[in-house]
Amino acid sequence: MTDDPFEAIKVTFFQECDELLSDLEAGLLAIETGAADDETVNAVFRAVHSVKGGAGAFGLDDLVRFAHVFETLLDEIRSGRKPCDDATVKTLLRAADLLADHIAAARGQAPAVDETRSAALVAELEVLTHGEASPVVAVLPDAIAEEDEFGFRPVAFDLSALDAPAAPSEAAGTVWRVVFRPHARMYANANETGLLLRELARLGSVTVALDHSALPGLADLAAEESYLTWTVDIETAAGEAAIREVFDFVESDCDLSVTPVPASDRAAAPEPADDFDIAALLAKAMADTPAAPPEAVVIPPPAAALASPAPTPVSPAAQPANQAAPAVTIRVDLDRVDRLINVVGELVIQQAMLAQRVVESGLARSSGVSVGLEDLELLTREIQDSVMAIRAQPVKSVFQRMPRLVREVAEMTGKRVRLVTEGEATEVDKTVVERLAEPITHMLRNAIDHGLEGPDDRIAAGKPAEGTVRMVALHRSGRIVIEISDDGRGINRDRVRGIAVSRGLIADDAILTDEEIDNLIFLPGFSTADAVSDISGRGVGMDVVRRSIQALGGRITIASTPGKGSTFTLSLPLTLAVLDGMVVTAAGQTLVAPLTAIVESLTPRAADIHHVGGHDAVIRFREEFVPLIDVGHVMGFRAAPTNPSSGVAVVIETEAGARAALFVDAIQGQRQVVIKSLETNYQQVEGVAAATILGDGRVALILDVDAIVANARRRSGRPDLKLAS
Amino acid sequence: MTKTVLTIDDSRTMRDMLQLALVEAGYRVIQAVDGIDGLETLSAEGADVVITDINMPRLDGFGFIEGMRADPNHRSTPVLVLTTESDAAKKQRARDAGATGWIVKPFDPVKLVDAVRRVAA
Repeated sequence: MTDDPFEAIKVTFFQECDELLSDLEAGLLAIETGAADDETVNAVFRAVHSVKGGAGAFGLDDLVRFAHVFETLLDEIRSGRKPCDDATVKTLLRAADLLADHIAAARGQAPAVDETRSAALVAELEVLTHGEASPVVAVLPDAIAEEDEFGFRPVAFDLSALDAPAAPSEAAGTVWRVVFRPHARMYANANETGLLLRELARLGSVTVALDHSALPGLADLAAEESYLTWTVDIETAAGEAAIREVFDFVESDCDLSVTPVPASDRAAAPEPADDFDIAALLAKAMADTPAAPPEAVVIPPPAAALASPAPTPVSPAAQPANQAAPAVTIRVDLDRVDRLINVVGELVIQQAMLAQRVVESGLARSSGVSVGLEDLELLTREIQDSVMAIRAQPVKSVFQRMPRLVREVAEMTGKRVRLVTEGEATEVDKTVVERLAEPITHMLRNAIDHGLEGPDDRIAAGKPAEGTVRMVALHRSGRIVIEISDDGRGINRDRVRGIAVSRGLIADDAILTDEEIDNLIFLPGFSTADAVSDISGRGVGMDVVRRSIQALGGRITIASTPGKGSTFTLSLPLTLAVLDGMVVTAAGQTLVAPLTAIVESLTPRAADIHHVGGHDAVIRFREEFVPLIDVGHVMGFRAAPTNPSSGVAVVIETEAGARAALFVDAIQGQRQVVIKSLETNYQQVEGVAAATILGDGRVALILDVDAIVANARRRSGRPDLKLAS
Repeated sequence: MTKTVLTIDDSRTMRDMLQLALVEAGYRVIQAVDGIDGLETLSAEGADVVITDINMPRLDGFGFIEGMRADPNHRSTPVLVLTTESDAAKKQRARDAGATGWIVKPFDPVKLVDAVRRVAA
């Protein structure tokens, strides 16, 4: 941040631009789908208008120029002078994209906008506005100087000018006679003669005379009428224009003449205003109104100051109810929220420790302390949820970036795509929202590039030429789920399998289910594009997407039906701050396994355990053999695997859907734990996702089950797939 | 006595700029985000001068001025219209609604303060 208030406003301006751009896009999309009303069109206009207004103040000329052309067309549409058909909306959407680019460039976040691209779009907008390309030549660099062309000139905001000395009030020069007779409406609009005279006096020395001859007796006096005429002689070097400028606001609400006074006439200057005799006027008023009681005598006010019977004020409640008032919000530094979350995390731990002490002390569950502690636990939970809610944000901020992406990818691939979004209001922790953009971007690209067919292929397959991509967010069992589905060709399993075999990812005689084949695309080194395309390629495979999601404690799966399309399902925890875990003991160490990964736990029977090769063991689990991994051994807590029949096997499922059984000594119980990053405090340790502090104050490591399974597989040289059942 | 200026604009940037220039010039500034907010703020806190944008959601500047003029307490409170549209028709409409004067956006802080001084008693 900066101390310069002007720079700070600029920061605000760019933040506001982001909001305006998303309003703009949302409005245009609503217009495109026919869901728009007049207010939507107005809001779209306002967004561009506000961008232009702010940009003008900061002297961002490129931005102003483009926004101006854009705004002009929107104004035509808003006023109904120009239709808003499909083709126009498409152009407007592209203009919105370019406006975003201009803003990014002005912000220094992107290179300057390509002049030819901008010029081409400006020309298109002008054709839509004027019916033909205007001779203006849209983006002449100095076009901005042509006031007539743009209707205004941006004036950069220069605060230092405020410190400049005021114009000299005493200056010899011409004498001007100003005759000024206000109309009643001038007073009704809250202009006052006294203030105007004061302004005049700033220009030079003045002599003021008042003509009150038109003032009627009190009985005939209309409170809101105007009866007075002023004649002002002013000696100033400022000139007629400066004098007239004083009356700029009231020009059409008064009779005004400004004429130079020849030196010979100066003797005939009007009598000074102090000739105005209130006492005489009052006497006249009294005489004119003999029947009026004395209290009724009022000195005529300077016209409009008297209140007339008041019309009913406009009540805000009378406004259309569907226009919601802006939500009351405050902006808080994120650090403060994070600090609060940390402290609440400590509170949760402290509460758990206290609970454990009480249990250990042997107090009865019905004792006052235990009951009070239970209430405390509920409250703690509630505080924690409330604090988490502060950080929660709707996924809208990510979703609304996607229509542009879809348009761009559609254009590049020559496909026709309709993006349908649902659940934009679904909330999730801010850090999760921020990290959603990349995987969603990649999955959308993938869906359009690989999933959807071209228009001709689609028609041949009996589908509409326009493909549909759906992006849905919802909450499901304490997690946020994002589904991205297309109605394209689905995964070509033969091809995927062929590639996996050719890349040595699976044995060529491996027996895989359809689901397993589909999920092969997540394996490192797998790419379905024959040539790495510019669109979904970008050097990033689906394995990277999966890894980034796993890093957030998430899962990604794919379901596909040949000829019908594919659905990617992304599931993430709502927060990265707490975790529901299973506390286990292995080789004397207390560890936590994420509950979401656990399928079930069982006590192994010796008959179900089979040793394969040297150290490797598998266990029969529901008619299926899954690897048995001794956690205490792989984590290095003990040198050799222990006897499996003396503990508990926790069957887990990895993100890829592979199952394994983690062998531990005992299960302590299930609880919510506060996640403490190990990297921040120590360093990354393979097989460990994070750490936590338990109720008894001990530090426990949270297992990264995927890494443990992958590690175990690497040791035994098997592919990262579960064994066929 | 310090005079209070109520600024009404849906753009945060514009509100901040107005505030910066007016506070610099010695005014106290209160803000509202649209016409309805403006009417509520005006009746709750009062103001010596009002500066309002025209194009705003919920209730535009014209509607605000009409509503304000209908309130006996603010029939003679000066109100300046902020507008990039310097065309005569807009000014006329503002005048018809009861505007005291106008400020053409993007405003020059000197002219802004000048305009406020011209209408502030």
